[in-house]
Amino acid sequence: MKARQNGRGSNDAPHGCANDSLSGRLLAKLMPLNPRASGTEGGMTVVSARSSEWVRPVTQQDPASAIIEIDRVSQVFQTSARKDHVALSDISLTIEEGAFVSILGPSGCGKSTLLYIVGGFVSPTSGAARMKGQAITGPGPDRGPVFQEFALFPWKTVLGNVMYGPRQQGVRAAEAEAQSRALIEMVGLKGYENFYPKELSGGMKQRVALARTLAYHPEVLLMDEPFGALDAHTRTRLQNDLLNIWERDRKTVLFVTHSVDEAVFLSDKVVMMSKSPGRIRQVIDIDLPRPRRRNELLLDPRYQKYVVDIERMFDESDQAGAPA
Amino acid sequence: MMSRFFSPNLVLGIAPILLVIALWQGLVSFGFAPAVLLPPPGFVFGRLLQQLVTSTFQHEIAATLIRLFAGFAIAVVLGVSIGIAAAASPAINAVVRPIVRVLAPLPKVALYPALLLLLGFGHGSKITLVAADALFPILLSTYYGASTVEQKLIWSAMAAGSSRYEILFKVVLPAAMPSILTGCRIGLVISCIVVFLAEMITSTDGLGHALVTAARTFQAVDMFVPLITISLLGLVLNGLLGVVRSYLLRGFPEA
Ligand SMILES: Nc1ncnc2c1ncn2[C@@H]1O[C@H](COP(=O)(O)OP(=O)(O)OP(=O)(O)O)[C@@H](O)[C@H]1O
Ligand SMILES: [Mg+2]
Repeated sequence: MKARQNGRGSNDAPHGCANDSLSGRLLAKLMPLNPRASGTEGGMTVVSARSSEWVRPVTQQDPASAIIEIDRVSQVFQTSARKDHVALSDISLTIEEGAFVSILGPSGCGKSTLLYIVGGFVSPTSGAARMKGQAITGPGPDRGPVFQEFALFPWKTVLGNVMYGPRQQGVRAAEAEAQSRALIEMVGLKGYENFYPKELSGGMKQRVALARTLAYHPEVLLMDEPFGALDAHTRTRLQNDLLNIWERDRKTVLFVTHSVDEAVFLSDKVVMMSKSPGRIRQVIDIDLPRPRRRNELLLDPRYQKYVVDIERMFDESDQAGAPA
Repeated sequence: MMSRFFSPNLVLGIAPILLVIALWQGLVSFGFAPAVLLPPPGFVFGRLLQQLVTSTFQHEIAATLIRLFAGFAIAVVLGVSIGIAAAASPAINAVVRPIVRVLAPLPKVALYPALLLLLGFGHGSKITLVAADALFPILLSTYYGASTVEQKLIWSAMAAGSSRYEILFKVVLPAAMPSILTGCRIGLVISCIVVFLAEMITSTDGLGHALVTAARTFQAVDMFVPLITISLLGLVLNGLLGVVRSYLLRGFPEA
């Protein structure tokens, strides 16, 4: 279904109504939880984006408590070519509040799918994801996604994009603007408030996307290869800036990447996944001091050991051939 | 892509028009067509300027413009709302699709006699015909644009707290705007053609009516004046739409 949704331009004649493949496409995209996975669970319920789970009891939790629990989540996709493709198999993972957790794995191992499940964009075939003990039933402003494709609104300026979230949250225009300007400055784009996304470089676009998500104060950042489309230099700078921002307010971050360096440099914890079916291979705690400075870290033998060890583990799994 | 107006290409755009006029002048000058049947362009434009200041001719232009604008506006409103609704709701789509399939290829002029009987000889019948003809390109392009909105734009809005209903207006509609405006451009051209056609068939006023009246009395010059007027109107309206388009799509890379 994802493939079909993304496969634009191939056979879509511009005569929409006459083309059956388009019908219901927008609806599917509007569904907070796409009922597209084949399930043994029976009826998949579709819940409005404004679900009651946003209204959380204001309980003070201790810093090390779990914020996200992924409980034996499996995802099976029914595709036309391959019947019942197991994208995720029995994933269990607990993410602590304030932790920076990276998900690392080869292409197609289900990293994005796992992130979408936590985001509430996709509902798992079986198992459940919970946020602060409550089942995730749809997207909500407590979990803010940042996508590799930036996904900025092209018709809005930088300021308009960043203000979108606060305005949706009912913040008054003047106040939302002030907050947004401050955030734009924080991500280093002061002076670009009235630019349109098309006038920005890839790195700048991703800064805007980050600011747009931070603007509605999500408790968890869900980042899906946010720097994957950037050149090495821009990538490094954004990694540093992300770390600085994160070290300031210690939001929980779930960060998908397939770069070992990036994962080790940024994270408290690296979740290594393997492919077909997507499973968690190993969870590695990265015990490196913070605040982390890139130039210090690169010389640190502990950092080097983490990188080498993780790379070796991936090589081993590659050599082991196709897993069962 | 369609030609742009209000750009350096303006000069390039005017060149072929001048060429056509030169050809026209040539046909008359070299006696390929008798001047009584094909008056020279200078004559026609002179007559046009003369006519433009008369209140009768202004009345004809006004009548045509009112019908064109009203019909086009109705087509835009209906086309965009039905297109978005059909893209968002399978139930509406199930109803709309067969209707569109049956009605889209139908020559709407065939409905005109019925419309005349129903709505009379005034504005109503012509406006309805214009709207009916301009509706389908706008509806189809809106539907297409809404159906191909990037998933992650919608997800980003959902995560920011927008409801599905809000997303239709705040994300789907603006994201589909390039496609919608392409449909509008086609719809506008069709509107110009259809309003003129309808006035030619049966009307008591309007540019099309002026042409038919002149033709019946063999006034070749007066026959060409409404023709030139409607193409000039079309040119200006298309230019205006181009301005609206570049304003609305100022953030889009392709605009
Ligand atoms: N909507 C879908 N329908 C069918 N199959 C899907 C769908 N989404 C993902 N898949 C399949 O599930 C598997 C995991 O996809 P996913 O996008 O989560 O991988 P990934 O780890 O993020 O890969 P990458 O690093 O390339 O982004 C892939 O094999 C993919 O083909
Ligand atoms: Mg991915």
